[in-house]
Amino acid sequence: MASLGSFLLLASFVVSAYAASISVVGARRRSRRLIESGVGAFYMVAALMTVASAVMINAFLTDDYSIKYVAHYSDSVQPLFYKITSYWGGLDGSIMFWVFLLALFGAAAVWVNRERERELIPYVVATISTVQMFFLYLMIVHKNPFSTFLTKVPADGTGLNPLLQNYWMAIHPPSLYTGFVGMTIPYAFCMAALITGHLDDSWIRAVRRWTMIGWLFLTFGLTLGMIWAYEVLGWGGYWGWDPVENAGLLPWFTATAFLHSVMVQERRSMLRVWNVSLVIITFFLTIFGTFMTRSGVVASVHAFGDDPMLARLFSIFMVAILTFSFGLVIYRLPLLKARNNEFDSWMSREAAFLANNWILLFSAMFIGFATMFPTLSEAVTGTRLTVATPFFNKWMIPIGLVLLFLTGVGPLLAWRKSSVRNMIDQFMWPTIAAVAGAVLVYALGIRLWSSGLCFALCAFVCGTIVQEYWRGGNVRRKNTGTDLLTAIVGLVGRNKRRYGGYIVHLGIVLIFLGFGGNGSKLEKTEQVKRGGEIHIGAYTLRHDGVKVSDDGQKQMTTGTVAVFKDGKQIDTMYPGRSVFRKHENEEARSDVAIRRTIAEDLYIVLTPDVDFGTQTVSYQVYVNPLVDWIWLGFGVLAFGTGIALLPERAYSFALAKMPAEVAATTVAVLLMLLLGAPPASAQMPHVANPSLAIAPAKNALEDQLRREMGCVCGGCAHEALTSCTCGQAQEMRDQLRAQIDQGKTHDQIIEAFVGIYGGQQFLQAPIDRGFNRIAWLLPYVLGATGIVGIGFAAVKWSRHDGAPRADHAPALDADLNERIDDELRDLD
Amino acid sequence: MTHRYIKIGATVLVIALAFAGMVWSTLRDGTEYYKNLDEVMTNPVEWRGKQLQLHGYVVPDSILRSRTNALEYRFKVQNNPAKGGAGESGAVINASYTGVVPDTFKGEAEVVLKGQLTPDGGFKVDPNGVMAKCPSKYEPKSGA
Repeated sequence: MASLGSFLLLASFVVSAYAASISVVGARRRSRRLIESGVGAFYMVAALMTVASAVMINAFLTDDYSIKYVAHYSDSVQPLFYKITSYWGGLDGSIMFWVFLLALFGAAAVWVNRERERELIPYVVATISTVQMFFLYLMIVHKNPFSTFLTKVPADGTGLNPLLQNYWMAIHPPSLYTGFVGMTIPYAFCMAALITGHLDDSWIRAVRRWTMIGWLFLTFGLTLGMIWAYEVLGWGGYWGWDPVENAGLLPWFTATAFLHSVMVQERRSMLRVWNVSLVIITFFLTIFGTFMTRSGVVASVHAFGDDPMLARLFSIFMVAILTFSFGLVIYRLPLLKARNNEFDSWMSREAAFLANNWILLFSAMFIGFATMFPTLSEAVTGTRLTVATPFFNKWMIPIGLVLLFLTGVGPLLAWRKSSVRNMIDQFMWPTIAAVAGAVLVYALGIRLWSSGLCFALCAFVCGTIVQEYWRGGNVRRKNTGTDLLTAIVGLVGRNKRRYGGYIVHLGIVLIFLGFGGNGSKLEKTEQVKRGGEIHIGAYTLRHDGVKVSDDGQKQMTTGTVAVFKDGKQIDTMYPGRSVFRKHENEEARSDVAIRRTIAEDLYIVLTPDVDFGTQTVSYQVYVNPLVDWIWLGFGVLAFGTGIALLPERAYSFALAKMPAEVAATTVAVLLMLLLGAPPASAQMPHVANPSLAIAPAKNALEDQLRREMGCVCGGCAHEALTSCTCGQAQEMRDQLRAQIDQGKTHDQIIEAFVGIYGGQQFLQAPIDRGFNRIAWLLPYVLGATGIVGIGFAAVKWSRHDGAPRADHAPALDADLNERIDDELRDLD
Repeated sequence: MTHRYIKIGATVLVIALAFAGMVWSTLRDGTEYYKNLDEVMTNPVEWRGKQLQLHGYVVPDSILRSRTNALEYRFKVQNNPAKGGAGESGAVINASYTGVVPDTFKGEAEVVLKGQLTPDGGFKVDPNGVMAKCPSKYEPKSGA
């Protein structure tokens, strides 16, 4: 299997090379056949990479430890889910996963734009193929994930790092990579436009959407990283300005800048060089970020190891990108020159966008500089100087606040020029909201300037958003004669990008609320004996003892802490630490206990300072106000981006079919659901009880079943019945015992449980039978899809003449599309 | 036209200089020197009062804990790995620390300590300033 994998990577490289060269040749000779062949080869790479991924996942599922990568990142006791996610758990696999995503994304982007951007397609294919070639080359010559042990094959793997065996961490990298990969598509279109000289504003339309998709995934990835750091690393925070985190943030800033400045180009045909540069820089930063985290250039807690060879290859690639891209920009400068380059006034929306762009770009540059500072200082002065979190905070807090302010100001300013009267009219209510917010904050007793200002600005931006919806909704209500709610729904449909964007802003406000809360964070480390108390904020914590348990994979030390507020016990929390069998020499994983509420989180970490004899331990306790608003804010942001991304037709079609009142009712119901849902989910039903002694299994069957089943309370990480100590797990164990006592067989018991719980969610891994084969089938399905894709591409590839019927209808469609697009743009 | 370019150029220059100045001034109190113990001990006076990240290895069996406050630590740090051979320890320094230490903090552990030199020739570690280095954090150890 390993050699098949290696062969597939090699084949992908060759086909990519073919796609890149034949596309360029085809475009230069204006040969439709050659271009089609290039596109076919391009799809073929996606298919080949899909098969290669299937081979890799299959190797993980079948515990093929002859492959080094599998042996390093998996072991036999690892749950099924983490076996699959181990695919991108290490360096080599993550590069392969990257190429896989890029191939899929690229294929999708080419497919969607194949008719509309026909002129650009060959160069888009060539650009993406070249990027793929670089990463494939890396794998083939240096980091082959399929390389095998030449001598003795280990009997078992070393297992995925315990810190990575976390739900969030499993989905964080794919999301971040998707974001990174997403930024390659706009870059490819940008390069194609520069090469062909088709620099009218049409390429920017194709790019905008893909940037938005990439941006959404990037934001999602960053948020997941924050949640992971918060729940697993156990230092009470979620963002430590670590180089790896920063690497993801850099392209985020420039992509955000692009999404704003692109509007200026669409409206006023200005800032064209600027936009092109932003697309290039964003792409460059994704590669730079990968370079930073993979090559060991910057020391970080979670960078991969040192690798000078990789660093050299990346450096060459990065220099090539910059030289080639900006060379093209300079070459095309005459075409890029804007027709009108003058701002009418600084009191205009385009000026606000420009200011926002400068600040975003400065943020990216600043963070890049500060992250690279230790390396730079060592290179220049010979002494390694590092900058710490306070330095980042000193700069990024004011910058963040200015950005937040601009978020509120931008929408209030008119394009071209705002008159004084116009400004008073627009700014009055948001300013009142800001002042009210400031007064409220002061009354609540918050005296920290940064937090106070942050909350006031949040109120300001909210004022702006509400005012925009209110005014727009009212105008539409008058015009259409419906109620306000329906009018607002219609309004959003009319201009999804604008009003979806405002919802994104609302999400940003919520996220900033969470950041602002950080200012009033409390922290305490104390050693306590049994019965000893720690006082923090409004809480009193009583240490009720500490004990050890073992579940075969890891040894867990768990403390019991009773939480009191106003003299009443409100909760019992169980902070712990786990030492994993295969990672005994490494730092234990903190099993942080978090009590989440909308207002604040109580966050308890058990430190390694534990003495079982005297039952004395040290706890690190944090009270983190408003943290959960960050995660909530991301939800709102994703919703807003989703609206902005909705295809034009889907929305208007749905609206046209719908009686007017339906919209209002739907929105009302949704609102109620939204408002009703959070309090219910804010509290976890999982109440662990470490003092509970789990009765030993009666026989081997019971033990086996306990291992196979997981607690369904929803609060714990679906822990096995062998170790979970909450009430739900105890109930499940009792049910299991009852079934065992009836003398049922393994399958009969599982069946009975399916009856009780209405599904198989109680199982640790789906049964290898019937529908669940799908989990096991995944690699084969992937493989088959890939092979069908290869066949399809091969047929297409070898076809002699381009399908003739394709020439008529789509041409009409393209015309129509363009007209519709133009009309829609005028509505903006 | 040229007049406009001069204006733009001057604005950009002023802004750039202002930012550079600000970055420079904040850098001065935000930076820490990353040093090996030997480099510091050749001329300790020069480094006194400066914020350091000191790299070294914990001397085996040198970790002492206070009786009155269990979170108070005293230990020795040497420049070279403890298994480097007899008499090869390099410079040695006494360090003091109050707070929680990581699991991997024990004799022979490779550590980076944040803190400052004290006038009596010791090293005072900042709160949360002990970082036990774990080279294999995300990559398996070679030979594992």
